[in-house]
Amino acid sequence: MTRYHGMLFAVLGLVLLSFIIVLPPAQSQSIASHADFNGAWGPYRGGRGADTKLTPPPASPPALKPQYAKQYEARRAAEAEANSRGEPLPNASSSCIPYGVPSMMSVAVYPIEIIQTTKQITIIAEAFSEVRRIYIGKPQMRIDDVPPGYYGRSVGRWEGDTLVIDTVGIKESVQYQRMPHSDRMHIIERMRLVAPDILQDQITIEDPVMLEKPYTYTLAYRRMPDYEMVEFVCDNNREYVDDKGVVRLRVREK
Amino acid sequence: MCRLTILATAILSLTGTAIAHHSFAMFDQTKQTTLTGTVTAFEWTNPHAYIEIDVPDEKGTVKHWSVELGSPSILMQSGWKFKDLKHGDKVTVRISPLKDGKSGGLLVQATLPDGRVLGNGPGRGPAQPASTNAGAPNQ
Repeated sequence: MTRYHGMLFAVLGLVLLSFIIVLPPAQSQSIASHADFNGAWGPYRGGRGADTKLTPPPASPPALKPQYAKQYEARRAAEAEANSRGEPLPNASSSCIPYGVPSMMSVAVYPIEIIQTTKQITIIAEAFSEVRRIYIGKPQMRIDDVPPGYYGRSVGRWEGDTLVIDTVGIKESVQYQRMPHSDRMHIIERMRLVAPDILQDQITIEDPVMLEKPYTYTLAYRRMPDYEMVEFVCDNNREYVDDKGVVRLRVREK
Repeated sequence: MCRLTILATAILSLTGTAIAHHSFAMFDQTKQTTLTGTVTAFEWTNPHAYIEIDVPDEKGTVKHWSVELGSPSILMQSGWKFKDLKHGDKVTVRISPLKDGKSGGLLVQATLPDGRVLGNGPGRGPAQPASTNAGAPNQ
């Protein structure tokens, strides 16, 4: 080996060493091996200035089995009728009850924040400060072994640059757009960057009890590099349900 | 149809995937009322902020109103700050009143003591004179 080769190897060695020293292990593996989802993301739903190639396709209505479809349509019709009278019907959020999975991923105009490490991806929704944890590389549990809740149990795996998330254990009262589901519901999400600063989450709800076929819809988010998440504690909820079951606003006398 | 309803409808109809926090159906968005009075409280809270205001009529009789705003996060996106109002400030608010006749409403726009005019929606900034309704988010 010549002196030139020796110097070359020494320089290469130093460069490699600097990478190992500079980045903490979890983050270096996460960013080097996979897409980087870290940071705050705001909804990207189209409208003025949006790139229609990156906005999500319109969602179709869910294909519920006939007996459940009838119930679902009746509830939606009752809700629309109540709104037209100015007497909205209560839902979970009128009592400040959190949305859970998957609704928390698309609440009005509120951002989400993603914290990504090798072993866990944590998603914090600004609205109601909801938190879900996705365990990377862990096997999913049987549905019957997961206590039903708002967020269930989520595990994830990387398929190239797509994060595939599997969630079970969402309790039946936690509904997306008032859509009923059984305790067999299974949610699969495919999350990927479709542009450097645009993230899409394709959400598929499987429910062999209530759905004729899996229901899929897609959300998109834009990266908000400088955004600082705002706290959201629901401590001044003035909505209440009167004795007729109508949501009212509590006003003060003075 | 007012811009508030248009915005709410637009957000929902783009993909049908956004979750509304609560219906604005309790407010009569076909009507607007202007109130000028004295702030008794400005509550920078979730799920909504509120302006509490004492409003005197022509005879000097004071009636109290509760005015609902968006959440702090959404208000900040339209230029509000948590110290923009305080007890004793004079303020003028344009609201869509409650349909049930109680003395409450949804903010359309507010004129602050320093002359700034603020709306009630994300990225909408101060309401412009040409605008009749600053709009609010579907939340």
